[in-house]
Amino acid sequence: MPLFGKSQKSPQDLAKSLHDNLNILSKGEKKAKVSDEVSKTLVAMKIMLYGTDQQEPQTELVAQLAQEFYNLGLLLLIVQNLQKIDFEGKKDAAQIFNNLLRRQIGVRSPTVEHVFTKSEILIILMKGYKTQEIALNCGQMLRECCRYEPLARFMLNSDEFYDFFEYVKVSTFDVASDAFTTFKDLLTKHKILCAEFLEKNYERIFTAYRALLDSENYVTRRQALKLLGELLLDRHNFTTMTRYISNPENLKLMMNMLRDKSRNIQFEAFHVFKVFVANPNKPQPILDILLKNRTKLVTFLQKFHTDRTEDEQFNDEKAYLIKQINELKEG
Amino acid sequence: MVDYQPVPSHYQLLTVIGKGCEEAASISLAKHLPSGTVVSIKRINLEMIENDFNIVKTEILMTRQLQQDNLLTYYCTFVHGRYIWCVMPLMEYGSCKDLIHAHFTEGLPELAIAYILRDVLMALDYLHTRGIIHRSVKASHILLSEDGRAYLGGLHYSHDMVFNGQRARKVHHFPVRAAASLNWHSPELLEQNMNGYDTKSDIYSLGITACELANGATPFQDLPPMQMLLEKLSGTVPRLLDANTLPETLDMEQEQGELHNDTALFQRSFTPHFHNFVHLCLQADPFQRPNAAQLLNHPYLKRAKRKSSADNLPTLLQPVKPLSPEAILPRDTCDVEDLAEKMSEVEVEEASWIF
Repeated sequence: MPLFGKSQKSPQDLAKSLHDNLNILSKGEKKAKVSDEVSKTLVAMKIMLYGTDQQEPQTELVAQLAQEFYNLGLLLLIVQNLQKIDFEGKKDAAQIFNNLLRRQIGVRSPTVEHVFTKSEILIILMKGYKTQEIALNCGQMLRECCRYEPLARFMLNSDEFYDFFEYVKVSTFDVASDAFTTFKDLLTKHKILCAEFLEKNYERIFTAYRALLDSENYVTRRQALKLLGELLLDRHNFTTMTRYISNPENLKLMMNMLRDKSRNIQFEAFHVFKVFVANPNKPQPILDILLKNRTKLVTFLQKFHTDRTEDEQFNDEKAYLIKQINELKEG
Repeated sequence: MVDYQPVPSHYQLLTVIGKGCEEAASISLAKHLPSGTVVSIKRINLEMIENDFNIVKTEILMTRQLQQDNLLTYYCTFVHGRYIWCVMPLMEYGSCKDLIHAHFTEGLPELAIAYILRDVLMALDYLHTRGIIHRSVKASHILLSEDGRAYLGGLHYSHDMVFNGQRARKVHHFPVRAAASLNWHSPELLEQNMNGYDTKSDIYSLGITACELANGATPFQDLPPMQMLLEKLSGTVPRLLDANTLPETLDMEQEQGELHNDTALFQRSFTPHFHNFVHLCLQADPFQRPNAAQLLNHPYLKRAKRKSSADNLPTLLQPVKPLSPEAILPRDTCDVEDLAEKMSEVEVEEASWIF
């Protein structure tokens, strides 16, 4: 702090100022002065929470500020009015949100509990991907929320989760790929929760997922295929994997993707295809397809990505698949 | 202000003006059809990037969250075929490295450098106050627009110290794909010890860049990386080459045949302020280096603040002329590339699976 500068505002003053000014903004009145004041207050709050290069944050002030946030319901107020805050203010708001969320008192995470009781916050954040100007800010906050199991559980079980299947396809690359990162976090961060969720909602999820794999957007297709491989190969998702590899439609899709024009898609498809072949209990329809195409598959695989000489694991797996397919017996 | 939409059909690609990102990216001039303005478009071929393209994603997401008059950011980004297109403003003078190579082999005029460094410092001050380390400040990442404003690009190497709701004080990880920027990196970044590095590392790189712009050559450029590292760690401080510093350099190096003929280097003399500016940036101890905000008040940059039409940057760069959109002829390079892409697609035999 400068010795003779203005004295620092107290956490209570900052919180009240933000509360009052956001309420004015929320009424739709466009006042440059109010908006400036909001941005300034957010900067001051950010410095209080994060400290500066020279100074570590002061625990007592942080605690007081957090308490004011809970008392005045500021987190909800911020996300409700995010669009009305200026460019830098939006980023500061997201950083304040993320810092407060990490707050711990012993084993308790008071901010996580607060957000959980005001779950409207999460719904608004998820819907944030619909608005270009706030999409990335909402994404940062969502991913931070996703680190906490109760919040991730709430988001997965909300109807808004299925909107992600649309968000990841939008034409603006940065919004689509940010949404995909959040989508992936939600489906992978908490293994047991995710496994349970995939099992319970298998039909709805994989119907929507199929549309991602069929998308015309190269990035959507490639990211979705890679994530599918990761989900199926995660041992927590054994039940889901078994169900997925029993469906001949899925095998057909992967076999077609093995022949995609893009080498990267072919390669990712290989990692899903191998699970169908390695399955020791192949259902009859799966076995039928593999048998009908036995010769073709063997010839195909022998010529498949032969230049990947340094990828030992890939070559071992390929050799194993060829052997398996050669040794297939009629049911 | 033109509204650039993420719609492929709005842009007509013209000449390719650059490559980057290990050949996976190309930069083209393009016409924005709805407005008729000329922009540049970076196209990244994702098929050439294996595994996942997190590097590309991180850069674009970071860039989209930055807005400052001296940072080269994107108007919009979208997917087209296997490419990501990043639409950005056209930099009519190209990069400072291009300028040096083509026209100023012995370095740019001192005042021109002051204009450039002031703009770069504005960008760095913006990044640093937000906890972002650029990690790749160098002449090839500084681009100049027609009106003489410098823009800092190369944001794909930068690192955000604010993560998961916390701000790190020091960074320890070594930047990926750093090979091309080693000469500009600070000793503490290269050393990779427990102390780590922070935003001051960029200030050192700025000092090296100042030498690069003034001398027309990058310090340490002829040394193998290991020797460069040893020189930096043992306290060798690069300088501006002029009448004051050259004889000394020569004594040290004994014999440097080609330098004897470069009389211009011997005759010129940079101001003490400029020498001091570089000296401050290149302090071995990061703590001793001023930060970007402090450097903006350095006396060397004072002259660049007085904007007179007689010595603005475009005048100082004469006879170099900015690229004029009228001079750009559409070429059908894109067709050639499309063809190349089609040919690179793997041939898959006709016979399909039997289901």
